[in-house]
Amino acid sequence: MTAPFLVARNIGKRFGALTALANVDLEIRSGEVLALLGDNGAGKSTFIKILAGAHPPSDGELVIEGNPVSFHSPKDAAASGIATIFQELALSENLSIAENVFLGRELKRSIFGIPFLKRQEMRQRVDGLLKELDAHISDPEAPVGSLSGGQRQAVAICRALNLNARLVIMDEPTAALAVAETRKVLALTRRLAARGCAVVLISHNISEVFEVADRIVVFRRGRKVAERLAAETDHEEVVSLITGAHPDVRALEKTN
Amino acid sequence: MNAVRQLGNGVFSMNGREWSLLVACLLAIIIFSVASPHYATSGNAATVLRNSVELLLIGLGMTLLLAMGGIDVSIGIVMGLAAIAIGRVLGADGNPVLALVAGPVVGALLGCVTATVVVLGRVPAIVGTLGLLGVYRTAVFVLLGGQWLSGLPASLTNLLATTVLGVPVPALVIVAAYLAVWLALRRTPYGLHLLAIGNSEEKARLSGIPVIKIRFVTFVISGILTGVAATFYVATYRNVEMTIGSTLALDAIAAVILGGTSILGGKCSLIGTVLGVLLLRILQNGLLLIGVPSLWQPVVTGVLIIGVLGFEAISNRFPVVQLLRARA
Repeated sequence: MTAPFLVARNIGKRFGALTALANVDLEIRSGEVLALLGDNGAGKSTFIKILAGAHPPSDGELVIEGNPVSFHSPKDAAASGIATIFQELALSENLSIAENVFLGRELKRSIFGIPFLKRQEMRQRVDGLLKELDAHISDPEAPVGSLSGGQRQAVAICRALNLNARLVIMDEPTAALAVAETRKVLALTRRLAARGCAVVLISHNISEVFEVADRIVVFRRGRKVAERLAAETDHEEVVSLITGAHPDVRALEKTN
Repeated sequence: MNAVRQLGNGVFSMNGREWSLLVACLLAIIIFSVASPHYATSGNAATVLRNSVELLLIGLGMTLLLAMGGIDVSIGIVMGLAAIAIGRVLGADGNPVLALVAGPVVGALLGCVTATVVVLGRVPAIVGTLGLLGVYRTAVFVLLGGQWLSGLPASLTNLLATTVLGVPVPALVIVAAYLAVWLALRRTPYGLHLLAIGNSEEKARLSGIPVIKIRFVTFVISGILTGVAATFYVATYRNVEMTIGSTLALDAIAAVILGGTSILGGKCSLIGTVLGVLLLRILQNGLLLIGVPSLWQPVVTGVLIIGVLGFEAISNRFPVVQLLRARA
């Protein structure tokens, strides 16, 4: 087995007197889809916000490829190759796909000292990425606002890839999507992993998770209560882990 | 050569909205020609074009501001202040070179003032520039001391009221300004960032765009264009009156909105602004010639703004829906 891309050791997060997260140990591997499951308030969101650099952890450390890192802002996390695709996508609806994918990091050439966009080259790069992701978009010049929810997810993923993301965090990417669109985004998630990216997926839909995830981690009341290989567990067990009905979880919560 | 052609691809291309504006201009010309015997003369055509010069320059800047989700209701009085500076320079020694520089420099400085209030001070653009409008109006009054600047030397006029290879200088300057603004908007990262900010400042920030810098620079660009407009104003009329520029902001906003630029930001049309300016000036001139007093001109402009925005609101049910759809 290859060394993990990111290791979280003993991560804890307190907001004043409230402990949102405690003693979380987790490994995230390249080429793997890791699903985070748990009820509302279980600590999933707090955990990914720590990964994304939006919150500093109160305890513990993050190690990327053997080097300890500490993020002070989402920019730091991005510089370490971590991209987060939030539910409310940060895309500009009035700009085209290529413009969105490169926004803030445009390719340009200087003519008389004025930076001009290399539109053709940006377009070619984006066409390549879309093809690689097998995302079919009939008119790449159309404004992103005219695309469907699933197509927008594809654009956000392209943007993450273009920023050389090594770990892509997807926060409920299918929550607002129709059935056919959901299938496409799940396929995209798999392809992202096949490309060598580490993927962390947050979802409430357990059958969806079984479709794409290699490993499943369950959070409950701010703790990681279980970790299973998707192939070695089933829907029923995962539900009992989330609700706390599972004997392992009961035993764990008794000792705490 | 190929690279130049690629760079300029689509510089004058028009969509449905813009073609209908062109048709509206032609229709207005036909109707006024029938209604007034004085209308369809080459002298009157020159007058309309002459009267469009300042508004075209200011309209280009206003297009950028609206596209960014900004606005500047003080822009007419900014032109007034720049015109006073030019007049003072001319009045002192008639040096046309200094006078040429004075307009853009004062425009840029006042653009910095506006940007400081609106961008750095985070005062909403409409309120911030409304406040500045009050301040500037009094400044114009105080600077002029209740008297017109009049009988200014003709040195600037001699410089700008000429032709180069048969083309009037104002036309050359306007084409150059149009091309520069168009290239900046459609071919550089600046334009992309401006439109992203107009769509959503928060998302633009998340995308790593230097929002403050882009917004600041845009107010300065608008100021410089207004300063150039002031230069043509002084060169043409050789005086600066107390009420200078008082309807210009209204006219500029009307022309830009008429041209298809979104009042909500994120979408704009430069060729639309040019056609919007021409339509506005054609209507104002034509109504005057068929006997409508010039007092009524702001009414026409105001009704046009309300009509265009009202029509867009009805076609989208409510502006709020449009806003939500744009930001969803």
